[in-house]
Amino acid sequence: MSEKHFDVIIVGGGHAGTEAALASARMGCRTLLLSQNIETLGQMSCNPAIGGIGKSHLVKEIDALGGAMALAADQAGIHFRTLNARKGPAVRATRAQSDRALYKAAIRSVLENQQNLYIIQQSVEDLVVTGDRVEGVVTQMGLHFYASAVVLTVGTFLGGVIHVGMEKQQGGRAGDAPSNRLASRLRELPFNVGRLKTGTPPRIDGKTVDYSELQAQPGDEPRPVMSYLSTGEEHPQQVSCFITHTSEKTHDIIRAGLDRSPLYTGEIDGVGPRYCPSIEDKVVRFADRSSHQIFIEPEGLKTHEIYPNGISTSLPYDVQLALVRSIKGFENAHITRPGYAIEYDFFEPRDLQSSLQTRHLAGLYFAGQINGTTGYEEAAAQGLLAGINAARQVQELTPWCPDRSEAYIGVLVDDLITLGTKEPYRMFTSRAEYRLVLRQDNADRRLTEQGHSMGLVDDRRWRLFSEKLSGIETLSEKLSKHWVQPGDDRVEAFTGKQLSREYNLLELLKRPEVEIKALLAALDMDNNNVAESEQVEIDVKYAGYIVRQQQEIDRVKSQQDLSIPSDLDYVAVAGLSNEVSQKLCAVRPETIGQAARISGVTPAAVSLLLIYLKRHKASAALKSA
Amino acid sequence: MYEKDTITALATPLGKGGIGVVRVSGPLVELVAKEMVGELPKSRVAAYRNFLDAQGTVIDQGLVLYFKAPNSFTGEDVLELQGHGGPVVMNLVVARVLELGARLAKPGEFSERAFLNDKMDLSQAEAIADLIDSASSQAAKSALRSLQGEFSKKVNSIIKGLIELRVYVEASIDFPEEEIDFLDNPKIGEDLDTLVEKIDQLIEQAGQGALLREGVSIVLAGRPNAGKSSLMNCLTGQDTSIVTEIAGTTRDVVNELIHLEGVPVRLIDTAGLRKGNNPVEIEGVRRAEKEIALADYVLVVVDLNAHRLDLTAHIDELLATLPKVENYIVALNKADLWQPEHVSEKQVLVSAKTGKGVDDLRALIAEGIGLRVSSEGTFIARARHLDALQRGIQSLVRGQALFGNNTAGELLAEELRSCQQALGEITGEFTSDDLLGTIFASFCIGK
Ligand SMILES: Cc1cc2nc3c(=O)[nH]c(=O)nc-3n(C[C@H](O)[C@H](O)[C@H](O)COP(=O)(O)OP(=O)(O)OC[C@H]3O[C@@H](n4cnc5c(N)ncnc54)[C@H](O)[C@@H]3O)c2cc1C
Ligand SMILES: Nc1nc2c(ncn2[C@@H]2O[C@H](COP(=O)(O)OP(=O)(O)OP(=O)(O)O)[C@@H](O)[C@H]2O)c(=O)[nH]1
Ligand SMILES: [Mg+2]
Repeated sequence: MSEKHFDVIIVGGGHAGTEAALASARMGCRTLLLSQNIETLGQMSCNPAIGGIGKSHLVKEIDALGGAMALAADQAGIHFRTLNARKGPAVRATRAQSDRALYKAAIRSVLENQQNLYIIQQSVEDLVVTGDRVEGVVTQMGLHFYASAVVLTVGTFLGGVIHVGMEKQQGGRAGDAPSNRLASRLRELPFNVGRLKTGTPPRIDGKTVDYSELQAQPGDEPRPVMSYLSTGEEHPQQVSCFITHTSEKTHDIIRAGLDRSPLYTGEIDGVGPRYCPSIEDKVVRFADRSSHQIFIEPEGLKTHEIYPNGISTSLPYDVQLALVRSIKGFENAHITRPGYAIEYDFFEPRDLQSSLQTRHLAGLYFAGQINGTTGYEEAAAQGLLAGINAARQVQELTPWCPDRSEAYIGVLVDDLITLGTKEPYRMFTSRAEYRLVLRQDNADRRLTEQGHSMGLVDDRRWRLFSEKLSGIETLSEKLSKHWVQPGDDRVEAFTGKQLSREYNLLELLKRPEVEIKALLAALDMDNNNVAESEQVEIDVKYAGYIVRQQQEIDRVKSQQDLSIPSDLDYVAVAGLSNEVSQKLCAVRPETIGQAARISGVTPAAVSLLLIYLKRHKASAALKSA
Repeated sequence: MYEKDTITALATPLGKGGIGVVRVSGPLVELVAKEMVGELPKSRVAAYRNFLDAQGTVIDQGLVLYFKAPNSFTGEDVLELQGHGGPVVMNLVVARVLELGARLAKPGEFSERAFLNDKMDLSQAEAIADLIDSASSQAAKSALRSLQGEFSKKVNSIIKGLIELRVYVEASIDFPEEEIDFLDNPKIGEDLDTLVEKIDQLIEQAGQGALLREGVSIVLAGRPNAGKSSLMNCLTGQDTSIVTEIAGTTRDVVNELIHLEGVPVRLIDTAGLRKGNNPVEIEGVRRAEKEIALADYVLVVVDLNAHRLDLTAHIDELLATLPKVENYIVALNKADLWQPEHVSEKQVLVSAKTGKGVDDLRALIAEGIGLRVSSEGTFIARARHLDALQRGIQSLVRGQALFGNNTAGELLAEELRSCQQALGEITGEFTSDDLLGTIFASFCIGK
């Protein structure tokens, strides 16, 4: 093979790009990863944390499919917490504060050791397009590389503009050049381009922070892990976070600075995320709040820099400094890097197929921030999916698109391609209607087998997973055969009253007050595999709900499986209103199920589509006969 | 094959007292037959049976017909129940089928299934498409009508309450690190209880079952000598009330039960409303006002002859004194003497003397209190809405049991979501993105 020809090319070495490159290479494709700068592979542009509600669900799915993010987070995590620990398992989540440098190093090492993967430091400036197909890319040095599938994951770099107060400058993120050539080239192609905005807080020298009055927040014990393969032994030294608050004085300073805020003077037109508002937004929109919470997060073990989570801002530097110093503990703080807002191009995600291939150019896939999302986890999940489907295209296989009932990855992609987005899209558990089924604890049970059959999962993971499955089976079998009698006080200590009849242990577990761990301990039964007994317990406790959700899933599934030809002429469908056929034209749903989820598409419209498709198919069959 | 759920609907437009057919199609047909008529009849052989409710009480009697798949209209198992109990009774039959696990068919859905299951030939595709199109716009109109007035206000206030609750519950799940502990608020539990109560009441009030059991009360009200007592006698077909040409004849409250479309209706004749100085008459007016306040509907009786010049003003003046703005009908009486050029909605020309227009008055009353049905009429639309409320409240009641158990926050959330999904069939969808939007608008969230 020549140095110019590859199976799959990935452009961009952020969170989307690295997972895409790794997936494609794991599946056996000769893969080229092109990124502006090898030193920034796997760089976290913003806060030094992986996971969180909804996000760790994505990370664990990536892990279940053999991806790198969870393992890297375990190697770099310096503070772990389980969120929603007091709530049920479906909404529990894991977050790892990460040492930026360790994280980057972990990702870099996986990339360098991946077979079939080639990395070249080059900035891509053009695509090689023939007809309506992409065949390769051209870099800033004029190098040409060819492949039958190209995955674009260039993050916030397209036409990136950085704002600090009324000053603005071009940049892909602080310290990196934007990708303007590529951006203008993409604007010439038939894509719908929009602008979004996001922001980051100033960083502070931790040596200038007075922690004495601040509330410390240690990590959780026992310490959670992100990857199923991790034990916790790979975690580096652990440190605490701290909490402080803004004051009325802070808010006065911000109000006085609004006349030089690019957000409030109309300099920025890109739409920012509602759930990640800048501090100036919070002060203006919730004027009655006298204080806002700030989490002080360490940037790493070998640096003093800290990340004050909660004061993202694009106010001018002098206002930033004053507002920081009005906060308890920060009275003498020194800002090492000013906060800023960044505006960038993104592409209308409704122009994508569920494989993440673009509808306009065959062989071209988009993943990550350029599809209108925000967040490392959202980017990595899409990267993984795009990498898988680019590889499958090369292998002449049909795309793999998990649906909403299988994975948060499916929810993410379906939301994007069906509903589009008006603001940077972040995952929340409330976006998943099958939340009770899509848990972080069962990501492997949902996905690892599929990952294995696609060639994404290595032997070690497969062996551990298979052992876990059979462990779960053995344990539930054992519990269903273990009977306890009325009068057995080891058991009645839990139930609080005498058993009415003979029970097996699986039945007993259905009761909310009976916990598997305590039950096994009381009966002197061995219980050393927590992951397995946890699955047995959840299966039993959620059983009723899971059955109900499964019924709903099955009902929707019959529609989900009915596909719609991509070139369907909606105008010809009898009875469809103009409005509905326009909406369908814009999204071009792949299945009846997706069509039904487009807002404004009524059940009657779905019926009309079904009838049209049926007639169409029959007359096509007639013609070919 | 196509969707596996079972659908049901009234298959024929229901007229007054005619035969109504409830059709059921899908896998639950056998169960429905066993539960409602005791057994699955032989395919294609009509049998005369009692139709039973959940308690085994007879709802109606009539013919039952079973068509085994694929030899049926839709190509699935089909059951037809033909009864003559009138719309309210037929609707109870539908309600029982729903209770057994079927869902109400979408407009045109039987034909749609027939087509998709190859029971109709391709040339009929256009016709089916037209049918679905027109049936669903008709249904949309009826749904709007069902949603008018008090019902709509109550449904909307229920939806609002539900969204408020969800905002708290979902925020506590997706934003656990905020300084507010959303679920710690005891108000949440109270709000949940209130919501259940409200839906319960609404189902009770709007339910046709209640109508059938308890009937409705209609007060005849108007100025002295308008002809209230005469109309009462026309409607009851008896000399229940004393009629004279003296204004102020009726003093006490007079009651009589009649049946309209099989539903008991209590008519109440009262003293003519005016400021008198005779203590007996003053007491009569006081009683009349009390009845008006309590009644489900008011039949406002107007003397056309006496108000040739100020008819509109006179009617407006009378309506202004009514407690329930929506629930009235105006009888323009003495139409034998004079008639206005224009008669508006909710008004009917009638003469107690000649009997002309009394049938129209009956029809208007029936329609006004929700007994009249045109093909996919208000009645069915209301049944759809009640079905949705019914499913909604089931979820909430399960949610009540979960509340207070912090580890079950996501289960409570799931019940609230199902409830919203059901109520969404009445008022339109409320997406997870709408929900997140409401959360961000209500709380300062995010780092
Ligand atoms: C200022 C700022 C604030 C943010 N705030 C938050 C936040 O609060 N919360 C949150 O969840 N997320 C936040 N993010 C978003 C988060 O950083 C991104 O969602 C995530 O990094 C996206 O991953 P990606 O792989 O799509 O792109 P990126 O991580 O941006 O990676 C893009 C990669 O492409 C490379 N590249 C760019 N152009 C080219 C080219 N032409 N040729 C070759 N390589 C190229 C770059 O060098 C880089 O390696 C923020 C980002 C920024 C910049
Ligand atoms: N021409 C004509 N006369 C009518 C009609 N209806 C009632 N009347 C006459 O109007 C007079 C009053 O009738 P009632 O029925 O007693 O009136 P009311 O409203 O009950 O009067 P009060 O009980 O006194 O309040 C009687 O003489 C009736 O015969 C009608 O439709 N046409
Ligand atoms: Mg009278």
